[in-house]
Amino acid sequence: MTSNAKTVLDIKNLNIDIHLEEGVLTPVRGVNLELQENETLGLVGESGCGKSLTCKAILGINSQNCKTTGQIFYTGKNGERKDLQRMPYGGKAIRAIRGKEISMIFQEPMSAFSPLFTVGHQLQEIVLLHVTKDKRAAKDLIIKSMNRVGIANPEKRYQQYPHEFSGGMLQRALICMGLACSPRILIADEPTTALDVTIQAQILDLLSELQRTSGMSILYITHDLGTVAQLCDRVAVMYLGKIVETASVQEIFHNPIHPYTIGLMGSIHKIGGTKDRLFSIKGSVPLAMNLKNRCSFYDRCIYRKTNPCNGPEPGLTPVTENHYAACYLPQTSLKEVN
Amino acid sequence: MDETILEIKDLNMVFSSGKSKVHAVDNVSFRIKQGETVGIVGESGCGKTTLGRCIVLAYKATSGQVLYHAADGKKYNIQAISKQKLRSIRKEIQMIFQDPYSSLDPRMTVFDIISEPLRANYKKIPKNEMEYRVQDVAKKVGLNPSYLKRYPHAFSGGQRQRIGIARALILYPRVIICDEPVSALDVSVQSQVINLLMDLQKNMNLTYLFISHDLSVVEHISDQVGVMYLGQIVEYASTDLLFHNPCHPYTEALLSAIPLADPDTPMDHIPLKGEIPNPSNLPSGCFFHTRCPYCQERCIRERTSLIRLDDGRLVSCHFAGKLPLHGIQAKVPR
Ligand SMILES: Nc1ncnc2c1ncn2[C@@H]1O[C@H](COP(=O)(O)OP(=O)(O)OP(=O)(O)O)[C@@H](O)[C@H]1O
Ligand SMILES: Nc1ncnc2c1ncn2[C@@H]1O[C@H](COP(=O)(O)OP(=O)(O)OP(=O)(O)O)[C@@H](O)[C@H]1O
Ligand code: SF4
Ligand SMILES: [Mg+2]
Ligand SMILES: [Mg+2]
Repeated sequence: MTSNAKTVLDIKNLNIDIHLEEGVLTPVRGVNLELQENETLGLVGESGCGKSLTCKAILGINSQNCKTTGQIFYTGKNGERKDLQRMPYGGKAIRAIRGKEISMIFQEPMSAFSPLFTVGHQLQEIVLLHVTKDKRAAKDLIIKSMNRVGIANPEKRYQQYPHEFSGGMLQRALICMGLACSPRILIADEPTTALDVTIQAQILDLLSELQRTSGMSILYITHDLGTVAQLCDRVAVMYLGKIVETASVQEIFHNPIHPYTIGLMGSIHKIGGTKDRLFSIKGSVPLAMNLKNRCSFYDRCIYRKTNPCNGPEPGLTPVTENHYAACYLPQTSLKEVN
Repeated sequence: MDETILEIKDLNMVFSSGKSKVHAVDNVSFRIKQGETVGIVGESGCGKTTLGRCIVLAYKATSGQVLYHAADGKKYNIQAISKQKLRSIRKEIQMIFQDPYSSLDPRMTVFDIISEPLRANYKKIPKNEMEYRVQDVAKKVGLNPSYLKRYPHAFSGGQRQRIGIARALILYPRVIICDEPVSALDVSVQSQVINLLMDLQKNMNLTYLFISHDLSVVEHISDQVGVMYLGQIVEYASTDLLFHNPCHPYTEALLSAIPLADPDTPMDHIPLKGEIPNPSNLPSGCFFHTRCPYCQERCIRERTSLIRLDDGRLVSCHFAGKLPLHGIQAKVPR
């Protein structure tokens, strides 16, 4: 994060409440996040910590029972800064940005396509909506884009239905859909979890390549720390609806300072490492309901001290340059966890 | 102890639906020693689960043998065994399933789930004996006894997988087929379950067949590893040999594609061309030839078979031992 980098996305104090029969769930609790131009930011955290809800909030596509507050500033090509959060739900303003300037690749490729139409038809719809009204031009653009993501035989593939694609192919078609309008921000929600390592490696290559050539920014959501290390410039670690640490990818992997991040890094099985017991974080993630006002990691933390940790919940503060953590006792002296 | 406990011999499983046939397990042979963990890796759909299911006789194989050296000192072919004998042998070989979310019946309490195999196998088991056994395995897997009266939906993924493991242990088996037991779990929870499996192995002298597509987990837990591609074992070797000095081009490609959790050692993967072939329409010659970077004329024409190299490993490649392949040490600085 250089100081003259341009911020394209600036999320401030994002909060999501969901009213359920049992009470109010707060799966996203005051998230602050910045995405720079041409940057790949990894958003990591355990299942259920609020990663997908945060991303969908950016596009305004969470279900309507998600009460969202806070601000989501997007800076357009012309430099104009708009709060996406203030655009009416499903309205014209947000639709003009969604899919064109900010697009998203979803966790499940199968569910993103309708089984009733050909892949080509579905890709064309998006291009016709945002880029050109000319059907021929739209098709040419898609064929070009399919080539770029490594779909062999694009003319033939264009005519086929989703079920005729393998999982890896469909994921590439989905990336193609996400890239069809040359977005400035690509949000990729676990785009490779369903894929094999060899196909996953191809997709990661493809994303880095596209980024180099187009300058877009990528928000990459995953709980796979291996892909994060390989792809991202910067990492934000999420726990129980809050960002608890953010820094460059090198800092996160070599100098984690929040006890949760330290635990995560320690749980990774390193190939060629010892065959002893793996480090593990004790306990499990609590439900984001009726939380006490104290550090959200308190129950599971091995470094905690009643005072101050049992006090009010710590906020994200700078610990060293460009390295932020939400912890009263940041473990800066720990060099590397193995 | 160096005793063989399971021998898989020329095992074949063909699924046919209408006109198309899928050869899900294709002439697979290998053996497992008691107390050892054999890892099975390979792309989605390569036949890992089918192999595991043939071993526990959830599937009757199309042909081939699964020889089991039972606790009574005798050797049985599980694939061709009398119903009576099967009952007693089945207790000794159990399976843990892939998905901790859907593999537990939501209408049963944890106690009922764990004790079900007992009730199915011992019709007249006394109630206090059953309670003792359930408490015993619950303790072994680290489940709080007060949880036993609850229903599985109230549990996290890691806890559910513990319930699945307790259920597999209740009959005091000797062999456990673990089908992707940690794939659906987060890293921090994965390590809890892996530690548990390794502790149980040590304390109960268990033998594992550990199926996974996560190569780093397999590397951590296995003594031997088998790599599958389109229903066949293409390489079978001790973990160290396989990871540091692979002899099949597919093993090499898989290893090169593991995203290492270290930003300073960039991935330098060997790109495989093309797609995984359709299993109902297999390629000629070596099954891997359509994607192999070292493919020669001969590979297109001639089928391969598993051959044993001097170091004891099995490889199914015409040029086994003659290619300059790279293992994982090429990437991990010491
Ligand atoms: N519409 C909804 N109604 C009720 N609860 C919801 C809804 N959407 C999400 N949640 C809950 O909010 C929490 C956060 O969900 P989210 O999908 O953001 O998690 P995630 O971090 O993306 O997890 P994963 O890694 O499993 O995809 C979860 O506990 C989830 O069950
Ligand atoms: N009951 C069945 N009937 C017909 N075909 C089947 C059946 N079970 C599996 N197959 C086919 O056999 C092949 C091997 O499947 P299997 O489930 O064993 O793969 P796998 O290696 O476990 O994959 P994954 O990693 O996705 O779990 C696949 O092509 C699959 O479609
Ligand atoms: S604030 Fe305290 S309890 Fe929370 S993570 Fe830091 S040390 Fe642990
Ligand atoms: Mg999600
Ligand atoms: Mg399987």
